[in-house]
Amino acid sequence: MKRLPLEGVRVVDLSMMWAGPYATHLLGEMGAEVIKIEGPRAWDNVRTLFPIPEPEPWDASFYFNDYNREKKSLILDLTQPRGRELLLALVAKSDAVIENYRADVLDKLGLGFEALQRARSDIILVSMAGFGKTGADRERVGFGPIVEQMAGLASLTGYGDDGVPYKTGISYGDPVGGVAAAGALVLALIQRRRTGRGCAIDLAQREVMAQMLGEAFAAASLRGEPPVHRGNRHPVWAPQGVYPCQGEQQWLALSVRSDAEWKALAGVIGAPELAGLSLETRRARHDELDARITAWTAAQEAQPAQDALQELGIPAARMLDSDSVHWDAHLLSRDYWDFMKHPRMQPYPQPAPAWRLLEVNPRPRRPAPMFGEHNREILGGLLGLSEAELTELAEAGVIAAAPVGAGVG
Amino acid sequence: MRVLEVGGGVAAAFATRWLAGFGADVVRSEGPRDALTVDEEAALLPGKRRIEVADDALRQLALAADLVVEDGRPGALAARGLDPGMLRAEKPALVVTSLTPFGQTGPQAGLEATNLVAHAAGGILSLTGVMERPPLQNGANQAWKLLGINGFAASVTAYLGALISGEGDWIDLSAQECAAGMLEFYGPRSAVDGLPGRRLGNRTTAIWGLYRCLDGFAGVCSLQRQAKALFEGMGDPELLTPRFLDPVERMKDDKELARRVERFFADKKKDELLALGTRLQVPFGAVLTPGELLESESLREREFFDTVETPEGVARVPGRPFPGLGWRAGPLSALAADTEAVRHDWLGGGA
Repeated sequence: MKRLPLEGVRVVDLSMMWAGPYATHLLGEMGAEVIKIEGPRAWDNVRTLFPIPEPEPWDASFYFNDYNREKKSLILDLTQPRGRELLLALVAKSDAVIENYRADVLDKLGLGFEALQRARSDIILVSMAGFGKTGADRERVGFGPIVEQMAGLASLTGYGDDGVPYKTGISYGDPVGGVAAAGALVLALIQRRRTGRGCAIDLAQREVMAQMLGEAFAAASLRGEPPVHRGNRHPVWAPQGVYPCQGEQQWLALSVRSDAEWKALAGVIGAPELAGLSLETRRARHDELDARITAWTAAQEAQPAQDALQELGIPAARMLDSDSVHWDAHLLSRDYWDFMKHPRMQPYPQPAPAWRLLEVNPRPRRPAPMFGEHNREILGGLLGLSEAELTELAEAGVIAAAPVGAGVG
Repeated sequence: MRVLEVGGGVAAAFATRWLAGFGADVVRSEGPRDALTVDEEAALLPGKRRIEVADDALRQLALAADLVVEDGRPGALAARGLDPGMLRAEKPALVVTSLTPFGQTGPQAGLEATNLVAHAAGGILSLTGVMERPPLQNGANQAWKLLGINGFAASVTAYLGALISGEGDWIDLSAQECAAGMLEFYGPRSAVDGLPGRRLGNRTTAIWGLYRCLDGFAGVCSLQRQAKALFEGMGDPELLTPRFLDPVERMKDDKELARRVERFFADKKKDELLALGTRLQVPFGAVLTPGELLESESLREREFFDTVETPEGVARVPGRPFPGLGWRAGPLSALAADTEAVRHDWLGGGA
């Protein structure tokens, strides 16, 4: 039986919200044993971000569940000396630590890289503060949308006729930073395998996001080119856009990459008199062409329109929204959605690993952990604490089975 | 580590870019001449060796590699004699990563796609922009970049697995799936209640949004735990009442709060707001342009940008994505400039 690539790797996960948890979710999907650490008074906010009509809402959040599957939960109060001792004991038995605290927090807790190295000399630390641990911006704090603004992407996004920059509709900086952090941690494992040495990676989420628009930096440095809001248009090809179809909020995205594709599209939309337009002319008359395309799409259902254009070799897709994406025939045929059981929630479609290693075939294995679900397994089993010690820790509030003072937010 | 990049669009070029910087010998077999713009070449090709070879030699190079990354259509690699399954059978430790809009299988696997079309299929497009206007793509080919960054991370993970077990794998990465599983809370919420997320423009809530300021646009993203500090910083005593401090009560007056935040931002400059955010420890941001970031003191101190000679002149592009591992700022090779050297190094000059 082929093994998942990260089986045997243990990761101590101090991260919260989305960027770090997304990274460790990916690592867990690839077989790593991820131990998520939260505090009795400092839990992952995503557990309680929205009001949930459940007696223990922190264990019934679909939002938390989607990005924290494949993890174990250990609750430790790191503000208490005993909590920190136990964390370091766990680090001694682990390969890597990952955190997305504000840049100064880990050191202030006395858990900086040197302290971790004393627990295990070849430990790997991946820190992923918004702006890194060094540099003039290190004291700034930020979440995904802030990262997107401060990295330049928002300056490149807009409709183009109002001068307004737009943020991506999700906190895009978070998962992008998470993917990079997962890769960074694996690179460090590869290096350690070769050299025997651990390392501290100081990943700034802003810098990862800036990598996602590298060509804009080339344009700015070579030609002083300012950002351009293109709406949905392409810098070269024309026409390109997102066009309304029959039904509420039904849209079709399409691109025309060549004269031949334009000729075919002109025929479909009932504009044969425009079939001979050159690229230059199509660019100059883009507004007019958009209107002609819209006149056709508005009378079409999105899926048949997509099919008709694809039949002619024209790139087109109906836009999927956050609901319809769960019922898309293509994704269903690829078994992308998984209806894994959760102890507190009805089954609902959850994404299977996007990293399809076709031979090892990773699939969802466990839902997000209940708060402190694995306290006993980790502290009693892995660290060898006795029942009496566990009781003592609970009485002292070092460990807990429920958040202290949980509210919304 | 030897990496062969085949196909050469943005996704494959992005997936291997960091590997080149971190020390892998990355060889790029060129795709169509217009696969990348000159600016994309400056950003994505430094440190790679560039070759043009016939398919039989490409196959030999694939078998000499540890990792093959490609972004051709499903079946395109096999049509050139590089069927991933056969390569893997011949060299079990090999990792092959295939990057496509819709994956290798399924009814839409063979569809034509551009960045916008792939973006539309993944769900993020539906959430960006405002309801009164069409859904809006974000800038700089993010469908391909997201596919590429996942290609990087998935590839190194499978490569580590191959180092441990001797067994590589064939990775089927789809741009659609990379996006569909990261729709923040909108994805799971819609999966539960069946209601599609709406395009909220630049404001999710009053204290999680982007506002016009004196010299551009600036943003704030405050959690409940930061709301009190934010309101104190705004100096508006009414905000320090339960009407606005309580997270549930606050939503009833979110529009009113947005108007107050709007007024607060309107007469301040970006730098002023950023400094305030640091002082309050509340996440404030500003919409910065690539030109502004090239002048960033923080990025200069962190040695973020590399300098690369291009046919148009000297470009500055993102370099080391994260400090902590060795990085080399490589040169931008000319098209096919390294064909003979790579033949020699990888094949012993025999092909």
